Amino acid sequence: MAPLLVLDNICVRGRSQPRLDRVSLQLEPGERVALLGPSGAGKSTLLAVANGLLAPDQGSVRWSGQPRGRTVRARRRQQVRIGTLWQDLRLIEELTVQQNLNAARLAVWGWPRALLNLLLPLETAACAAVLQRLDLDPALLNQPVSALSGGQRQRVALARLLRQEPLLLLADEPLASLDPRLAADLLALLLELASPPRALLLSLHRPDLLAGFDRVVGLRAGQLVFDQAGSSLETSQLKALYAGAERP
Amino acid sequence: MRPAAPLWVVLPALVLLPVLALLPGISHGGGWELVGEFAAAALQPSLDPLVVGSVLGGLGVTAGIALLGWAASLALGLVLGIASSRVVWHTCCGNAAPASWIRRLLALPRSIHELLWGLLLLQLVGLQPVVAVVAIAIPFGALVARVVSDLLDALPTANLEALRCGGVAGPAALVTALGPPLLPQVISYSGYRLECALRSATMLGVFGLGGLGTELRLTLQSLAFRELWTGLWLLLAVMLLLEALVGWLRRRWAMPARLGLDRRGVGRQGREILVASLVLLPSLGLVAWQLGIEPAGLLRWQGLPPLGPADWGAVLALPWASLVGSTLLLTLLAAALAVGLAPLMLLVAQPCRPLLALVQGLWALGRLWPPPLTALLLLFVLQPGLVTGALALGFHNLGILGRLLLEAAETSGAPQQQALLAAGAGPRLALLYGRFSSLARPYLAYGAYRSDVILRESVVVGLVGATGLGSQLLESLSSFAGDELLALVLVYAALTLLGEDLSDRARLWLLETPHGDGPPQEAGGPWR
Repeated sequence: MAPLLVLDNICVRGRSQPRLDRVSLQLEPGERVALLGPSGAGKSTLLAVANGLLAPDQGSVRWSGQPRGRTVRARRRQQVRIGTLWQDLRLIEELTVQQNLNAARLAVWGWPRALLNLLLPLETAACAAVLQRLDLDPALLNQPVSALSGGQRQRVALARLLRQEPLLLLADEPLASLDPRLAADLLALLLELASPPRALLLSLHRPDLLAGFDRVVGLRAGQLVFDQAGSSLETSQLKALYAGAERP
Repeated sequence: MRPAAPLWVVLPALVLLPVLALLPGISHGGGWELVGEFAAAALQPSLDPLVVGSVLGGLGVTAGIALLGWAASLALGLVLGIASSRVVWHTCCGNAAPASWIRRLLALPRSIHELLWGLLLLQLVGLQPVVAVVAIAIPFGALVARVVSDLLDALPTANLEALRCGGVAGPAALVTALGPPLLPQVISYSGYRLECALRSATMLGVFGLGGLGTELRLTLQSLAFRELWTGLWLLLAVMLLLEALVGWLRRRWAMPARLGLDRRGVGRQGREILVASLVLLPSLGLVAWQLGIEPAGLLRWQGLPPLGPADWGAVLALPWASLVGSTLLLTLLAAALAVGLAPLMLLVAQPCRPLLALVQGLWALGRLWPPPLTALLLLFVLQPGLVTGALALGFHNLGILGRLLLEAAETSGAPQQQALLAAGAGPRLALLYGRFSSLARPYLAYGAYRSDVILRESVVVGLVGATGLGSQLLESLSSFAGDELLALVLVYAALTLLGEDLSDRARLWLLETPHGDGPPQEAGGPWR
């Protein structure tokens, strides 16, 4: 089976220095990879390239062995296999939980269903199933997102990701603004979801949460510093990665 | 079944269905050739130096009238706005009641459209440039006054109370505590008013009050389309330049955007603002001198034709129900067309850059092209009446709403839209779900305000017999029926005030945050 994601020699230019400088990375199905690095190291840029929103200036990206699709339709089929959990969640506040979950299906739905989703509850069983998988009450389906608590939102965003049925899971610092318990819960869920055929690439700030990952990738000033098994990571490598970075 | 937010935005477009169904019935098809000629002439405007010279002269007069009317309305509005602010009266006299009285008094000049002011003054003092300036200054001034007092009363008063507790005198405390937060909002709003003033000055010209509008109407009526387009292109250029300048200054001075979504304090641009105002004052004098404005001319009333004795029986016999009914129908139709079509067009055009540019061009044309002229153009192919008037008013307001929607779409909901795109949603669905969701309430709230403006504006399509109070008013005006005129103006004013109240309520309801996080947004604000 082809790797889910292959980044080959990726460069992204920035204003003064490159945001990504000759970065190569590969993700096999079932792999859970943590992306570490100080602020401004290029983690978000790397994820934006990985989810197809940003085309690199140099280098090539392949998803499940395929380059970026040439037609709009092909690209959309590709995008729907890439799921992103955003740090700010990006739920649509004005819509209900169910409408938000169904929004993940817009890539495969046509206009009639997309419009109907704004009028009637559609595919309730499938929506309820993803909520239950994340220990959420299916009664939430009719609630507007703006009425949810912080923890509920996190889970609804994750449920939307499940509803999309992606293979490649990307997460941009999903734990940054969470309290320790919520962060541990969410991380456990994400790691559990990333079983084959899926894979997970997650950027984070906290080296204390690396236990469940197969590999750790270090990024500093747009360059890949290390890419190795989490168990073999030395404290000195971490110190070098963050050296001088936290000071303003 | 309850439509979700993004649908609210496009639902008003359903009004297209009855309008399209009615069109075959009211079209007479006689003038398609003329419309074709008109469209073709867009590409070959007359470049005859004589035509260009006369258009430039007309444009100068229109721009001068707009500038003077705008400046006068700002001065008037600021003074009256402060005088009708509750917090000012409360701080200075301990009693806020006079503020409400002044507010109520100001409702009357505000509710009468500048065209009516213009035509009334024209009857009294004859044709002179100062008429158009005053016609703009009166209703605009009253409107600015309302906005200023709304803004003042909505400002947080903690600083003011702190100063008062420290023994600072009322006026000094007001200036210190409320001046700085008020200034950027007023400047931002006044930029928008200048755009409105240019549109109004053009429109007044269509009714013979001088400037480019007069030439546009004459060239249209004499079917001199190439000369017409010379004027239109130049006017378009000036308007787009003005809009760009106002937008640029607003960004440069970090002024609140018109949507009020992005409010930052005023930056370190105070000096530039001061210099700009200092440059403005002498140039106003220069413009007034160039136009031959003579304020004293307002006092020299010309002899009116003898008014017959008032015949109130005849006034009562006017078909009031149908007049009021068709005015309201005209307003609703035009408002629904404008409010619903703008998002629909954006949805269709947004993913395709050239198409979006075309739509923006069409909107710009709609903004500057006075509705009575659109109506005259429509008369080539449609019969006069309510739908024709609604189409003309709708097209004009579509241009205004469209630009606002685009501005808003550029500042709100971007992350959600991006997330949907990343998950493979098409660009149009990403726009509908990702951006229109958060835009729905403020956009419709603005639509409610716009309907209230359209009601006031419905008088300007009275020219083409678009039924309703507007055409009756123009008729009474030209037949010197003073009693009818008085009754009609009062009914119009009452209707406008009622509409204003309704639209205020609609806006409050729309802007209320549904789940109680945060206070409801302010209903008026910099939107007007």
